[in-house]
Amino acid sequence: MRLSTRKLLDRSFSGLGVFAILLMVGALLVLLAPIAARGSRAFVFRATVEHRQFMLEESGRGDHDAIDAEIRAAAEVRRKAYDMIARFEEELEAAGRSERRELRRSLREVKDHLAGLLGPAPGNARPVLLRDQYGQTRWDRALVGLGDFLYVTEYDYSDPSGMGRPLLVPRVDGFRGTSLEPLFAYVEQNLERMLRPRLTFYWRFLFDEGRDAHFFGGIWPAVLGTLYLTIGTMLIAAPVGIASAVYLAEFAGEGWLISLIRTCIGTLAGVPSIVFGLFGLAFFINTLGVSDSKSVLAGCLTLAVLVLPTVIRASEEAILAVPKTYKEASLSLGAGQGSTVLRVILPAALPGILTSVIISMGRAAGETAPIIFTAAVSLGRPLSLRQTLSQPTPALPWNIYNLCTEHEAVDQIRHVQYGMVLTLVLLVLLLNLAAILLRARLARRLAG
Amino acid sequence: MAGTSIPTEAGLLRRHLMLSRSASRLQRLGALAARGALLLVTCSSVFAVIFIFLFIFRDALPFFGLRGFAEVFTDTAWYPSAEPASFGALAIFFGSGIVTLGAVVVAVPLGVAAAVCLSDVLPFSVRQFAKPVIEMLAAIPSVAYGFFALVVLAPLLQEKGGVVLSVGACLAGAPLGLLAVVVLSDLLTSRLPDPSRPVVRLVLMGGLCAAGFYGLTQLVQLLLRLPIHSGTNALNVSVILGIMALPTVVSVSEDALHAVGRELREASYALGATRAETLVKVVIPAARSGILAAVVLGVMRAVGETMVVWMASGNAAQIPRPWFNVLEPIRTLTATIAGEMGEADHVTGSARYHVLFALALCLLLICFVCNLLGEWAVRRSKARLR
Repeated sequence: MRLSTRKLLDRSFSGLGVFAILLMVGALLVLLAPIAARGSRAFVFRATVEHRQFMLEESGRGDHDAIDAEIRAAAEVRRKAYDMIARFEEELEAAGRSERRELRRSLREVKDHLAGLLGPAPGNARPVLLRDQYGQTRWDRALVGLGDFLYVTEYDYSDPSGMGRPLLVPRVDGFRGTSLEPLFAYVEQNLERMLRPRLTFYWRFLFDEGRDAHFFGGIWPAVLGTLYLTIGTMLIAAPVGIASAVYLAEFAGEGWLISLIRTCIGTLAGVPSIVFGLFGLAFFINTLGVSDSKSVLAGCLTLAVLVLPTVIRASEEAILAVPKTYKEASLSLGAGQGSTVLRVILPAALPGILTSVIISMGRAAGETAPIIFTAAVSLGRPLSLRQTLSQPTPALPWNIYNLCTEHEAVDQIRHVQYGMVLTLVLLVLLLNLAAILLRARLARRLAG
Repeated sequence: MAGTSIPTEAGLLRRHLMLSRSASRLQRLGALAARGALLLVTCSSVFAVIFIFLFIFRDALPFFGLRGFAEVFTDTAWYPSAEPASFGALAIFFGSGIVTLGAVVVAVPLGVAAAVCLSDVLPFSVRQFAKPVIEMLAAIPSVAYGFFALVVLAPLLQEKGGVVLSVGACLAGAPLGLLAVVVLSDLLTSRLPDPSRPVVRLVLMGGLCAAGFYGLTQLVQLLLRLPIHSGTNALNVSVILGIMALPTVVSVSEDALHAVGRELREASYALGATRAETLVKVVIPAARSGILAAVVLGVMRAVGETMVVWMASGNAAQIPRPWFNVLEPIRTLTATIAGEMGEADHVTGSARYHVLFALALCLLLICFVCNLLGEWAVRRSKARLR
């Protein structure tokens, strides 16, 4: 090969590597961008007057008089729409029988959609479900609701091989020539005045309980559950893991027992997380009986077994990174091995050990499979510290799964799902960031 | 002892220096006891592994007693709750296999290329920037990946699948194609006499580029016509699992490349090899055991992953036809265990409950073997390089 070609090849080979790294960065951005963009909308969004009304009535937040005035102003605009419907109903009474039945069904749909947008019509009985007692609390959801109100989706099956193609038919077409015809244009033009959206920073999304299957409110029980699980796990795993690391790094020689222990740690690190879940169910709950059924305690124990190898390996590395001279200086001053470890090596290795603990916390916070059978439920109230011994809890990872696959109205609570994912990812990434910063400081200290 | 005296500096000193026989024996006994206690704590990992195997075995064996071995591994009919039930898990094993294979296809070339770049090509400052990216990819919880696969990627694949696939094909095809064109045109023109060579080479390169471009457009045409019935399929999961396995592959193979050491590299440079030649012909062969370990660990990560496959694989226990059709939904071992345990744990003792433990046992054994293989590869690479 000619030299110039070899150089070209060399450069394109480097280019390939850079391309691979760029692809990785791109993957990270593509992954995080929608989570960050849509997750933040759980906290910052255009809240309608219904949201403020809900807050006032359910938790007593907000300025009573101001909200009352707003509700009255909105009701003023809404009344015209309800008047139109009332007039049309009178008209319907006078119409012929066959025509009436057809129109009445369409009218019921119109009223249902309007109730979905604005809440129950004045004069109607209070609905049973909380979600039916209020209109759309978010402006983005209200716009979707407006689309459903204005258009009927029909499917075009003209192509028999494929699936039906959705077609949007204006709902107003069914009411041409009736007194209801202007209603649609009126709602479309005045929706903003009916709902009065305003940009709101709903920071209490983190600290509110979810209401009515997460249609309203926040995610506090899941956040608290994740905190319990994470901290509980580390309370169990950190002492055991650090003690193991100390033994392996400082006292262990080379023997069959030590190599067996090391192989076991490697094996433990390779066990799939779902198997930990089954193990936790079979061992901690069914055999040891730490609780009657799922509980936070059982989940913590299971997760502790899962993160144990991570803690041991990283702590051992941190201990081994302490310069040998420290140890030698201490021993030469007459200190025993025990006090050398306790007073010299452990303090020097502490930042590194903390790093390992923090990274393991991130791992424990994000794991889902082990807590499915041992700790997590989909709905529940925030637990007190005492209840964690015997009761299961909602937890962020499990609730994310649950809300985006098994919830009855998956599409309507996307903002809650994204908000949960953002919270979890932020929690884990912040823990990792703390670990990275700690490690950087440690590197500076050991170097200087 | 000195407990009654005032703990002045001198008093402290005296206590440490006091070497009476009984005190030192007491101290030695105490140290021994502490060591024993530490060893016991350290052994908790061993107990954990023993208990995991024991308990999974204990609940898995009744299944084989009830139904025998043949059905699970050879049949594809998975109807655990039907009457009569059938427990043919072949399709489920196949699903785990194909998803893992897909993840390896995504993660290994990309991961090894990135590791080579990180260890040998990039300057230190850029490396400091790339490291946190890898750490972040590794830290993001699997349920967040699963959420992305289900809520973002799956609808995209279902509605604009052809476009997504085309972009993927171009991203993979364009750089590799360019590399191939450069090599081919050089090989073909290397015998020509000197004066006409650059011209012929340029023409040839142009022609090959055009041919490659034509091939790519044909491929894109083909992909755009591909029917995608569901966005939750094996391809979606493979790509996401590949990205999840990337950090493992990158960091383990980077360690392996680092371990090769300067001498081999410098010897190669001294012989006149370029960096690419050094890497391809010297460094990577020398580090191949370590890279094998990286692949094995990546496989382990992909096989054992639960949430992504449960959420986004479609959970259909079937072998697609033809078998390599990754656009069909599949189902994996982990997703089966996670999905059916909730229904089965109130029928404890039935075949339906124990079969899940049997699947978990298979999963555990696969990962155990992978782990031993990986450790063996690491040990071998260390021994070779010493």
